[in-house]
Amino acid sequence: MNCDQASALVGAYADGEIDGLERQSLAKHIRGCAACAAKHADILALRERLRAEVPYYAAPPGFRERMQALAASAAPVRPVTTKSARERFAWWGGGTLAGSLREHLGWLASGAVAGCAVMALAFVLGTNVIAWREGQDLATQAVARHVRATLDHRLIEVASSDQHTVKPWLSARLDYSPPVRDLAADGFPLLGGRLDTIEGRPCATLVYGYRKHTIDVFVRPEASDAPPLRELRGFNVVHARGAGFDWTAVSDAGADTLEAFVRQLVNEASQPSKG
Amino acid sequence: MSDHARFEELVLPHLGAAYNLARWLARDAHDAEDVVQDACIRAMKYIGSLNRSDARAWFLTIVRNAFYDWCERNRPAEIARDEGSALDAAVDHAAVDPEQAAVRHAESKVLADAMAELPLAFREVLILREMEELSYKEIARVTNIPIGTVMSRLARARALLQGSPRLRAIGETTTRGNR
Repeated sequence: MNCDQASALVGAYADGEIDGLERQSLAKHIRGCAACAAKHADILALRERLRAEVPYYAAPPGFRERMQALAASAAPVRPVTTKSARERFAWWGGGTLAGSLREHLGWLASGAVAGCAVMALAFVLGTNVIAWREGQDLATQAVARHVRATLDHRLIEVASSDQHTVKPWLSARLDYSPPVRDLAADGFPLLGGRLDTIEGRPCATLVYGYRKHTIDVFVRPEASDAPPLRELRGFNVVHARGAGFDWTAVSDAGADTLEAFVRQLVNEASQPSKG
Repeated sequence: MSDHARFEELVLPHLGAAYNLARWLARDAHDAEDVVQDACIRAMKYIGSLNRSDARAWFLTIVRNAFYDWCERNRPAEIARDEGSALDAAVDHAAVDPEQAAVRHAESKVLADAMAELPLAFREVLILREMEELSYKEIARVTNIPIGTVMSRLARARALLQGSPRLRAIGETTTRGNR
């Protein structure tokens, strides 16, 4: 790989968007080329500064409840009626184009709209089947617990950044004793813990913060084969095995961050407690 | 699951990300609330088209569309400025005179200000990438541009921030201070 090719890809490389052989040859080039190495380092440095200095704005108090009430009073568009299908089409198609189509090609457009309605119906059936299949899945359960806890404001049942408070609270309520570590030094402060049920068994859930995100970690004694990383309903789910436990982390924090966090957490848990 | 239950379970958990995006696009707390409010109504309206696996990108797409529509009504000049060749001329947009940069030397607000001053087209890809950590594919979907354009806009956004005199003046001090 020459410098021109590499230089164009350094950004994508730093964003984790380059895989396989190309990633290897790019890594090799960056090691040997001062200009590309500097460019790469600049991107990482800027990223760190953005994360440290640029605010992640939180919605004002009560905003969430207001939006919830607003949605409760709004009615969804039904895909089966002609009018709503036209609106749906207009929304995806960017409004103006669909609007002028309707004006100039009235009867033709209504045929297209009927076609859209059939497709929308097929789509709804399709997603329902997928949702049903996902029901038994560990990741689905983990995301469901995470969302439920967030909505019910019972994310944390024992609030403490002290592992010596959280661990005994959990151990007293479970037939196992999960390792509890605070990762505040790495940017993931321990916020507390709670109890959940995963696959029909009580489970320890550790709650961590990361910037404005929350991360739920479900810790269970080692059992089945750990499934791979996946994304569900817009949340990232990371599984790992180590220190005699299975770890499942759920968060809307980025996949890279979550993976690094779980690796660090399992690593810490494998070592004797420092505190 | 009822439509309202779907909204609460799939959309509402991403309200924080939606607000942050709207806040950075509109650069005003009150306007951001208006945009997200409009987005929630749209999301509820089209909840039937939401696929379970990508609720966040889906909702952020709606937030962005709601913002652009809001912007067209309230600040048409802002969109016009970003169109066509204006983007290529945007090199010095984030720049301020070095004297001013020197005055604000110690403030960590400087980077946030430079970010807020980036042209919309660059600001949005940078926020989606660095704050929401979306993949190029997701960013392409949310912003309705090809992946190649995501890549070039990100590169440009970073170059604009790094090249801003405001940042260059304080860059070294801050980096050292953080270590």
